[in-house]
Amino acid sequence: MEKILKLFNSELKIINIGLEIFYRDLKQQRIKVIHVNWQPSPVTEKDLEDALRRLT
Amino acid sequence: MTPAIKGVIKKGLYRDSLQLMKLSEEAKNIPGVLNAAILMATEINMEILRQQGLLTPELDKASPDDLVVAVKAEDEEKAEEAIAKIEEMLLKTPTGTGLEDMEDVVYSIDSALQYMPDANLALISIPGEYVKDVGMELLRRGVHLHIFSDHVPLEDEAELKRFAYENGLLVLGPAAGTSIINGKAIAFANAVKRGEVGIVAAAGTGLQEVSVLLDRVGLGTSQGLGIGGNDVKEKVGGLMALTCIRVLQQDENTKVIVFISKPGDRRVMTKILKTVEHEVDKPFIACIQGTARYKIPPKLRRRIKIVKGLHAAASETLRAVKPKESKQMLKNITKTPAELLKTARSIYIKLTPRQKYVRALYTGGTLMYESLLIYKQLLGGVYSNAPLDEKHRLQDPHRSYKHTAIDLGAEEFTRGRPHPMIDPTVRGFRLVNEAKDPEVAVVVMDFMLGYGAHKDPAGAMLSPIREAKAIASADGRELVILAHVCGTRNDPQNLQEQENKLRNEGVYTFPSNSLAVITSALIASRGRVNRRKLQQVYREYVGG
Repeated sequence: MEKILKLFNSELKIINIGLEIFYRDLKQQRIKVIHVNWQPSPVTEKDLEDALRRLT
Repeated sequence: MTPAIKGVIKKGLYRDSLQLMKLSEEAKNIPGVLNAAILMATEINMEILRQQGLLTPELDKASPDDLVVAVKAEDEEKAEEAIAKIEEMLLKTPTGTGLEDMEDVVYSIDSALQYMPDANLALISIPGEYVKDVGMELLRRGVHLHIFSDHVPLEDEAELKRFAYENGLLVLGPAAGTSIINGKAIAFANAVKRGEVGIVAAAGTGLQEVSVLLDRVGLGTSQGLGIGGNDVKEKVGGLMALTCIRVLQQDENTKVIVFISKPGDRRVMTKILKTVEHEVDKPFIACIQGTARYKIPPKLRRRIKIVKGLHAAASETLRAVKPKESKQMLKNITKTPAELLKTARSIYIKLTPRQKYVRALYTGGTLMYESLLIYKQLLGGVYSNAPLDEKHRLQDPHRSYKHTAIDLGAEEFTRGRPHPMIDPTVRGFRLVNEAKDPEVAVVVMDFMLGYGAHKDPAGAMLSPIREAKAIASADGRELVILAHVCGTRNDPQNLQEQENKLRNEGVYTFPSNSLAVITSALIASRGRVNRRKLQQVYREYVGG
């Protein structure tokens, strides 16, 4: 519980991962925020299969 | 000059729906362009193109993984030029992030934590299948989570929450649209004042509705914690509901606790209520939507209240905090059953005998659910894309049948499109279609204000409202529209301005969802509702 109570009594410092619209809204409220331009790992099995299909 | 419609399919190209919405708006400003749409070719998006008259036979061949550009311009040449320009615009944003004007951007969780080592909260809105790995990494480093993403597998949610529960951390969501932490809006939330009411909600728009109603009667929110609808399912076991209730019991700034949820799993709900009985000594208001299943021991009934509706939760909370002044203060947000009947009568006398059905077009899922509960009692069964029982499921969610209430935020309406709280296009078309049905008596709509939402939701709906009213009028009838604007005067959109825009178009506005819904039922039934039943519904959903 202490960790959550500490959050309630601290200045918010937010990592935003995903939609940039939320980053902008948090900024607008003068919250300290850093945006992670997150991408899924680029090559998956499905990607490889698709690439192979295009080659054949 | 004859206007020309041109389209092009960009095979396999993907762009984020929010970015495509922005791009479509920009494309409409290209000289000579009369209308433009740039969309992923999902079923709902192709339907939108069809309704806008932009669906050419070539575009009809697109598959859901393709991106389509459709343009209507003053002539053929202008249309070709516009398409070339749009293709250029698409190329300029290869990753689809639109980050060029953003500071503080990094590309990994590691970098984020190096840059901000004392980060205490992460807001996660990535595809659901990736949430567990990202979330677990952050929890291990002691960062609390608010997970906006939906489609997170239930077992992943349970694992994240078990870890958080055992380590004294917070996991809000998944699929949580709203939280208010330390007075700040996280994702979709309103600018409400800070105060003494702590809210735990397994229902996003439920948290918005209650926090906004409290704000309007002068009460503030200490913390508003959205735990996601699955928290009260057996697999998750209410872990975050229990955590949040316990922490609000300890929080010095919280004097009253409000809990909002659908009925949930019986064992989980019983466990939560037993915890409240034994561990909570603050006044506790549980809004368990639509059910009278749970009972509180008689000796605790002064402190613990169970209500069915969101407005009723706000009324009970006010009574708990300010027992003496509550009656007077509630007048800001309440109309009596007699007043609702009077309003309904003044409206239904203008209708033709054929106009008998309600059509409720919602952007907020919890508000839609509440409407179904109220309509069930006052009108009988209501059809929906998310009905209370399977026999009232709409065969086609795009076509209303008899009394209908629709959640436009459901998956079938949001595949490849932003949520209707952000993009009002789908609801605009739906409203115009409803106006063509001579049996429609009254349309109900919610307008969600606050951070995350559209900058001007009422303004964006004015053109469809005018068109819908003109269609009905040309057919010799009136289209009655009731609206509930869920917001505060401090919201970026401003409550008063939004309500005034709607009223200027002849829309009737109501301070809460339940008041709008009850009035619509009274209009559709021409006031022929059993008075005792009306009193009961009013007591349960508004709180009398």
